[in-house]
Amino acid sequence: MKMKKLVAAALAMAMALSLAACGGQNNSSQGSTTPPAASNPPAQSSNPAATGATEITLWTYPVGGWGEESNVQPIMDAFKADTGITVKVDYLAYGDGDDRVNTAIGANEAPDLIMEGPERLVTNWGAKGYLVDMSDLLTDTDRSEIAPAALTACTSTDGKLYEYPLCMTAHCMGINLDAFKAAGADQYLDLENHTWTTENFIKAVEALYAAKKDTVAAVFCKGQGGDQGTRALINNMYGGTFTNAEHTQYTWDDPNNIKALEQLKSMQGIVFDASLEGGDELKLMYQEILDMAFCWNIAQQLDPASAHGDPGKTIGGQEIVCMNFPSPDGTPVLQGGIWGLGIFNNGDPAKVEAAKEFVKWMCASENAAQGIKISNFFPARNTVNGTDLTAIFDGSDSGDIMKEYNRVILPNLGDYYQVTPGWAGARGEWWAMLQEVGNDQDITDSVAAHVAVANALIAG
Amino acid sequence: MKIQSGNSRAYRFVSIIILVILAFLFAFPLYWIITGAFKSGADINETTKVVWWPSQWVGDNFAALFKKRSAPLWELAVPFSNWFTQDGRLLYWSVGPAAPAAFRWLINAVFMAVAAMLLTCGTAAMAGYALAKKRFNGRAILFSLIVCAMALPKQVILIPLLKEMSSLKLYGSLWAVIFPTVGWPFGVFLMKQFSESIPGEILEAARIDGASELKTFSTVVMPMIKPGIGALAIFTFINCWNDYFMQLVMLDSNSVYTIPLGIATLQAETSTDTGLLMAGAALASVPIITVFLIFQKYFTQGIAMGAVKG
Amino acid sequence: MARQSKPTMSRALQRRENIAGYLFMLPSLIFFLGFVVIPMVICIFISLTDANMNSSGQFVGLSNFIRLWTDSAFLEALKNTFVIVIVSVPTVCAFSLWVSSAIYRMKGPVLSAFRCIFYLPVVTGSVAVTVVWAWIYNNYYGVLNYIIGPKGLGLIEGRINWLGDPKYALGCIILILFTTSVGQPIVLYVSALGNVDTTLIEAAQVDGATDFQVFWKVKWPQMMPTTLYILVITTINSFQCFALIQLLTKGGQGTNTVMYHIYWTAFKLTEQAGHFGYANAMGVVLAIFIGILSAIQFKLAKEK
Repeated sequence: MKMKKLVAAALAMAMALSLAACGGQNNSSQGSTTPPAASNPPAQSSNPAATGATEITLWTYPVGGWGEESNVQPIMDAFKADTGITVKVDYLAYGDGDDRVNTAIGANEAPDLIMEGPERLVTNWGAKGYLVDMSDLLTDTDRSEIAPAALTACTSTDGKLYEYPLCMTAHCMGINLDAFKAAGADQYLDLENHTWTTENFIKAVEALYAAKKDTVAAVFCKGQGGDQGTRALINNMYGGTFTNAEHTQYTWDDPNNIKALEQLKSMQGIVFDASLEGGDELKLMYQEILDMAFCWNIAQQLDPASAHGDPGKTIGGQEIVCMNFPSPDGTPVLQGGIWGLGIFNNGDPAKVEAAKEFVKWMCASENAAQGIKISNFFPARNTVNGTDLTAIFDGSDSGDIMKEYNRVILPNLGDYYQVTPGWAGARGEWWAMLQEVGNDQDITDSVAAHVAVANALIAG
Repeated sequence: MKIQSGNSRAYRFVSIIILVILAFLFAFPLYWIITGAFKSGADINETTKVVWWPSQWVGDNFAALFKKRSAPLWELAVPFSNWFTQDGRLLYWSVGPAAPAAFRWLINAVFMAVAAMLLTCGTAAMAGYALAKKRFNGRAILFSLIVCAMALPKQVILIPLLKEMSSLKLYGSLWAVIFPTVGWPFGVFLMKQFSESIPGEILEAARIDGASELKTFSTVVMPMIKPGIGALAIFTFINCWNDYFMQLVMLDSNSVYTIPLGIATLQAETSTDTGLLMAGAALASVPIITVFLIFQKYFTQGIAMGAVKG
Repeated sequence: MARQSKPTMSRALQRRENIAGYLFMLPSLIFFLGFVVIPMVICIFISLTDANMNSSGQFVGLSNFIRLWTDSAFLEALKNTFVIVIVSVPTVCAFSLWVSSAIYRMKGPVLSAFRCIFYLPVVTGSVAVTVVWAWIYNNYYGVLNYIIGPKGLGLIEGRINWLGDPKYALGCIILILFTTSVGQPIVLYVSALGNVDTTLIEAAQVDGATDFQVFWKVKWPQMMPTTLYILVITTINSFQCFALIQLLTKGGQGTNTVMYHIYWTAFKLTEQAGHFGYANAMGVVLAIFIGILSAIQFKLAKEK
């Protein structure tokens, strides 16, 4: 009897769950009465909120300076002044952001807008059908202005635009130039082109280790953040690949990658450290504990974030210089980052309209300049409706550094392979593999096992 | 008094030395939080030696913490109000201008823990009394269900609970953390153990005097189980405050974070800014430590009482 | 008549007890059934399906459970979970008993100072404690490596990567869990030791019993109820180590537990087919183990 009742209660609850209404974020009181400029309320909806959303939510990953409220809030205030729509911003971390978004999706309470790259927006949430196709926002001007590589990466294989690109960069390495000079290792650097060969990289690490008898660089593998750095290092050293060109298979069991892993493992001064993630590595670099960082990019160069330092300097004032990843002949293939906005479909057409309004305002108008500026990355389009975006950093302290990156780093931007299906799971396998290599397991076996799991995830 | 042998005196001496060392070790994390919160950037990032005592006490870390995020000072979802509103949304009770989010997180955490504490004490006291003193049908089954569920980690029911909170429109509000805490049956178990010791004759006497069930409970039973309620209140408060997991899963925005969750998200964002994190940790821990030190006599009495009876 | 009226009377009484009992239970039952029991029942249902984040899935029978026994990540997590419980529960009990017996005869203020200090990590809060331990354990600039390293006591050469080395990581987590678990047992044991019947002790001493015998034969049996209560709360506590793992190691380097793995499977491995069903199956397995553990503890309690 008891059991039957329990089961009945559970079934009733299960039914209630399946009927769960889809609603947007909690709508707290706001004072604005200005109607949104261009929302198209569907006639059949009796929901008063659908007659024009006045509040939407945006969750942003820390894309350059987009993780700081003091940067982001002025933009949202300007948007509110223009359209009357309040954008409530919440800030995600790379450390646990994915789980938070997934939890919110699980609760039917995803944000209206999200700021991140194609590996999450297109491959993960877009492919699963949580995001709205934004191709209707693209005018012919937009299509001609947005960098073709960025547009391709933001579009799914069936032609849906799940991310409206705003800014982009190429990830590189950072080195402590003063430490290199002190150890006599600067002779191995081509400071004109910011490149080096793998052979010179090895010699430089040897020289640095000989000078300080301590860790020079760390292959961080706690997981979660900054894995692009370790991937780019290992792929570039002997010309390995991470996926095939069609993005249908993971190929990091390539003998060239195994050779690179074996080389790194054998080097004194390089450790595989499972207690670090990308951000920790950067801090150690700023603290002059490590002499190299694999998780570097222009945003780190311009804004040493929380390290209390000056741009491009360690805490002790030593000079940090960006470098391409070492490769056999000094011709690296760098990994890109393309960031932009995606819209979650929360079943409320008014909110989707308001979110589209924001995307157009942010990414396809002259307001893009401000959004790019705070990110400290490069624009994903050189012009917006004819207005030039390439010179937005000119005249500021960052202008020269941006130009230098533009000259030596950006041209080496390679394929955006992070859109391979099963990406989130594959990253997990990559970290686990690095940890195992660090724990002295057989490299070939470990690589083979984890690639197999990653490839199994492609099928879903 | 027995004369202590030299051996036993030596043992006592050694054990006191060990105790003092242990006490230092146990107090060290808190010491490290508080000094860390007031260290300057230079002290924090000093890598060649350990800065045991701040070379200079600065408030920079707190300033950075308060500048980091802002949130309305107070805003509370009225649970289940969506059943009565026209648009099916929750009503909000909100007061106050924007303030540093860390304050709001502190307020949220205190509200959450106190609400869970009051609800738990109220419901568990009645239920524990009923389980101990009322011979109703199904009592044994219910009690074994409670015992089995006591050690159950919330991760087990994570997905159903999330779906349930979503359909009740409670996801993203503090209630989504409070209600499961109240449902956790440890309190009922504890109060049952307490209520066992109430003499049956007193209840019988009250009944003969014509007191109603409710009257008996409030005038006879309650005073007798008061120490138990105190113990349960402390237990629930600390437990709810420390339930990082439920907070992580159920709370989704700056304005509903609690201080422990807020510190954890700061750690995920900037694990690099140790000073900022220590300022947050100090803000999260010093208030309840102060309360604990003031009431420590009642704390320890209440807790001890719980076990002697249980 | 008289023979018939008696059962009716007691049936009326029984009804009265039922009504009163359930009315008193009602507020608590709403929460308990609504937020514990019903989710648990739904959890069992979902564990039999291949539900995903976006679909409720098809009934797949026990295949999730069969898959669990071949999933090395899950088995490792299960092993670690038991290591944590099996190591931390007895050490917490033994340690707190030793501390309590060493301090319970001290003078009031000294006693309460010790009690407070051992209770501090509990009231500091799990997240604050974890954040500061992360700093203490840090491989490169943590104070622990400094103290025992060449510049400090010189016990080790170089550094130990406490949280990044599978040899130490789980131990480090158990240590933090330990410091946050002993506070309450110490308070409990101190008061239990204070309540031991002194006439029995004196009688034993007159009979020439050693301190050890007095403790084992006289005090220990009297403290059995306290010990059982401590076992229960420490076991509960050991299963609440999620924050430590999420904030320190993310389940890497041999620190994964079933509790963390459930969360990971549900919200990280979202590309895996049927991940909700699978995560729930892990939950069911964990619940069964915990149910057995609780049953054993309460059987012990009954036998006292």
